[in-house]
Amino acid sequence: MKELLLVSILLPSLAGIILLASAFADVLKKKSKKQLKAQAKKSQTPLHLFVGAILAVSAAVILYTAWSGEKSLTLFTLVDNISFRLSLDLLGSFFVTIVCIGWLAAGFYSFVYMSHEGGEKSFFGWFLMVFGVLVGLCFSGNLVTMYFFFELMTLTSMPLVLHNGSREAIMAALKYLFYSMCGAYGALFGIFFLFRYCSSLDFAAGGHLNMTLVSGHEGILLAAVFAMILGFGVKAGMLPMHAWLPTAHPVAPSPASAVLSAVIAKFGVFAIIRTVFYVVGPEFLKGTWVQYAWMTLALLTVFMGSMLAYREKVFKKRLAYSTVSQVSYVLYGLSVLTADGFTGALFHTMAHFFIKTGLFLTAGVFIFKFGYTKVEELRGLGKKMPILMWSYTFLALALIGIPPTGGFISKWYLAAGSLNSGINFFSWFGPVVLLLSALLTAGYLLPITINGFFPGGESEAEVKEEDPHLLMLLPIVILTTMAVLIGLLPNVFVDLISRITNAVLW
Amino acid sequence: MSEWFLLLVVLIPLVAAVLSPMLPFKKRNSRLFFLEAAVILNSILVFAVLLNRPDASLTVFRFTGNLSITLKLDGVGGLYAGLVAILWPLALLYSFEYMKHEHNEVSFFLFYVFTYGVTLGVAMAENILTMYFFFEMLSLITLPLVMHTRTREAVLASRTYLYYMLGGAAFAFIGMIFILTYGRTSSFVPGGVLDLTKLAGRENLIAIVFVLCFCGFSVKTAMWPFSSWLPKAGVAPTPVTALLHAVAVVNTGAFAALRVTYFSFGPELIRGTWAQKLLMGLIVFTIVYGCSRAVKETHFKRRLAWSTVSNLSYILFGIILLSQEGLTAACAHMVFHSFMKICAFFCAGAVIYKTGRNYIHELDGLGRKMPVVFITFTISSLALMAVPGLCGFISKWYLAKAAVLSENPMAYVGIVALLISALLTAIYMLTIVVRAFFPGKDFDYESIRDVQDPNWLMIVPLVIFVIVMFVFGLHSTPVVKLLEQIAAASVR
Repeated sequence: MKELLLVSILLPSLAGIILLASAFADVLKKKSKKQLKAQAKKSQTPLHLFVGAILAVSAAVILYTAWSGEKSLTLFTLVDNISFRLSLDLLGSFFVTIVCIGWLAAGFYSFVYMSHEGGEKSFFGWFLMVFGVLVGLCFSGNLVTMYFFFELMTLTSMPLVLHNGSREAIMAALKYLFYSMCGAYGALFGIFFLFRYCSSLDFAAGGHLNMTLVSGHEGILLAAVFAMILGFGVKAGMLPMHAWLPTAHPVAPSPASAVLSAVIAKFGVFAIIRTVFYVVGPEFLKGTWVQYAWMTLALLTVFMGSMLAYREKVFKKRLAYSTVSQVSYVLYGLSVLTADGFTGALFHTMAHFFIKTGLFLTAGVFIFKFGYTKVEELRGLGKKMPILMWSYTFLALALIGIPPTGGFISKWYLAAGSLNSGINFFSWFGPVVLLLSALLTAGYLLPITINGFFPGGESEAEVKEEDPHLLMLLPIVILTTMAVLIGLLPNVFVDLISRITNAVLW
Repeated sequence: MSEWFLLLVVLIPLVAAVLSPMLPFKKRNSRLFFLEAAVILNSILVFAVLLNRPDASLTVFRFTGNLSITLKLDGVGGLYAGLVAILWPLALLYSFEYMKHEHNEVSFFLFYVFTYGVTLGVAMAENILTMYFFFEMLSLITLPLVMHTRTREAVLASRTYLYYMLGGAAFAFIGMIFILTYGRTSSFVPGGVLDLTKLAGRENLIAIVFVLCFCGFSVKTAMWPFSSWLPKAGVAPTPVTALLHAVAVVNTGAFAALRVTYFSFGPELIRGTWAQKLLMGLIVFTIVYGCSRAVKETHFKRRLAWSTVSNLSYILFGIILLSQEGLTAACAHMVFHSFMKICAFFCAGAVIYKTGRNYIHELDGLGRKMPVVFITFTISSLALMAVPGLCGFISKWYLAKAAVLSENPMAYVGIVALLISALLTAIYMLTIVVRAFFPGKDFDYESIRDVQDPNWLMIVPLVIFVIVMFVFGLHSTPVVKLLEQIAAASVR
């Protein structure tokens, strides 16, 4: 059933397009704002039913497709001799599962959350569109198809950023757009050269470099690969092109920030994995200036991201800086080009996904319930929302990497990978930076727990417990459970990831 | 088919144009119907001739010796003629609606249709003299169109236009005399016609004349430092800016440069000389320069005009790579850019026609009131930005491929320039799109309450262009195969 690949992409995308068209038609009807609002209220329940059904059905179809064996589907010739090709391997299945969980969690959470933001129809329209596009990205079978979905991802996720229509949001969206485009064109530069020097742009573990053609042109090819790493790295918030991320992620509605930060940023990583390990081949980069530059940038980003998060006062911005830092853990794990590093990178992709989605959704609760955006406002919440604060605490511990949570396992592998890499300076310097960053992580996340449970000063006599709506709370609790669970039972996941690792490295 | 048809397709538009003010039409519509019928008939004839290409050439007029006005249809010429034949009827359809709000439409349509014949003449020129003849005629015949509104701005713009065109033609003239003196023949022959025995030891002379001649023809494509006439000429009515200053006139410049490079001087003689390096430097600079100016520009049509400056240099870049792949890419971009840019201009025209708004900051919120126009505009923006799936990506792909294959470091810089230009394109186009669709939450929709999409005369061309952009973007193999054949026949 290889056609399922196409169905999985089209189902959410088309549903999204239908919603958008309907939202557009509302505007064209020249109704007054009041009428529109009344109508939106009336159509809320059917809208939620529709979106919920689409999310559930697509997730089922996608997961079935992803875990029912490898398959590929060649549709038509896109350019030159390169086809529009969808194919599925373990790495794609791994990422598509993450996408599905993220979209289900954020989607159901949005049913409550978005009622106070307004513009639900267009929000869910774009939300579903991006879903389809990301599935396409996971299923792409060659570089050009992936590039196609990569560009679409930028274009369809941009409206999520500017959703509230304020001037700040629009400027942030444009910044997001232009940084991403800059990155995409950097990547395209590399693709042009890879097309010349690879025998094929299809993904295959180990890559396709045609060494007879390459000889004598190593310099330009290395530059091209570096351009691709930098270019795709923009989405992952890697230095020097990270500035858009703390601007764009926080202004989006919280569920959208969650998926932007926890899922979409990972696709920068995904694209780099595909390029380095599936087209170029890690052997070609080993010991070159590209590897060292890449490691340096990743480490710098890890440290600088944490530092900036530590200094940031606005909660969602702090989380966004934290994303900058954490995604670069993943990039560092990849850049050492060892099996352990690769395993750690993928494990951290998963762990950070659970944690960061949970954290952003938590931040959303604060905004939704109290309108709190600054860290200093978050005092004494532990008594009001005990379940939420406890789950927040576990998420924070997991991100710091305290055993037995998921973050610990990933950092273990990352450090081991770095130490085994045999690169003198970096092998020990990398783990040191990771450790420093973990300390900073504790420094920027734990004060909220502390102030939450021990606000100090005079404690109010009676505090009513008011944990949020179940649709908001449940996704957060499930994500927290997962973040801890993968640390308690790491073997299942490590085995799975090792199968990917073994395919691409030795 | 008989070679006389070549003359016929050039003459039909000329005759129809000249007749249109003279015939006693009672109503506006009947005159327009007559013109449209003539143009469509001519386009059908062009395609009939293209499909049954006459091998022989037709000498219309002989001055003396090898100086003659001769028509012949070969691969590149046929490509250009076909492109023009598709676009003219659609543009004319659009201008019927658009010209309702301008004056003097009788004289407008006279020159507009006349230009069709002249452009076909350039496409089908068999030798350099014929091409030069039609090339000059094109400059003169489009002058009244630039001047059309008779405002002070328009008169000044047309003066600039004239100076640039005449200056360019003068340089091109030097090249023509050189070819007539040192060529084995004045005809266009793949691989060039220069007689090397006469020119032995004078390689620098060849290079100098080539640079002059190439620059002369490239004035029409607005290559830097000859680019400022194009944005100024934007004062003309939109059908003129769209069809002539984004397609016909400017492509004629590129086409002429292509002709002299590949068919008169010959790529072998130029490859690796300082002439190639100098010209490539200018072209690469123009690619970035045009886009930067577009980002800075706040006038809607002038911004698109600067974008044209940059995109035409893509075509010149393909040409100056001096290889078969470069020529393929140049032809591809010539075709694809025409559709993308004419589409964008028509959207700008529709906005001007419906709202009278000329500046970008006035476009807030219009996307929600004119959905068809702005969705079309968005698609053409994405195509210009080279998003895969649309035709702009295809031509950029082949340009970059040709540049990589050339293994010339300057061409690598060219690739970087192409990508910087794509980024700048995203900036100057998508800011318009975002503004139009997302004006911000405080925007007062009452201020544009009665704005709506234009009628079918304007919508139909737009929709056709969008379909074309998608078809070429998703199914490019046939057209690229065709272009590769043409390029292979032109580089021997």
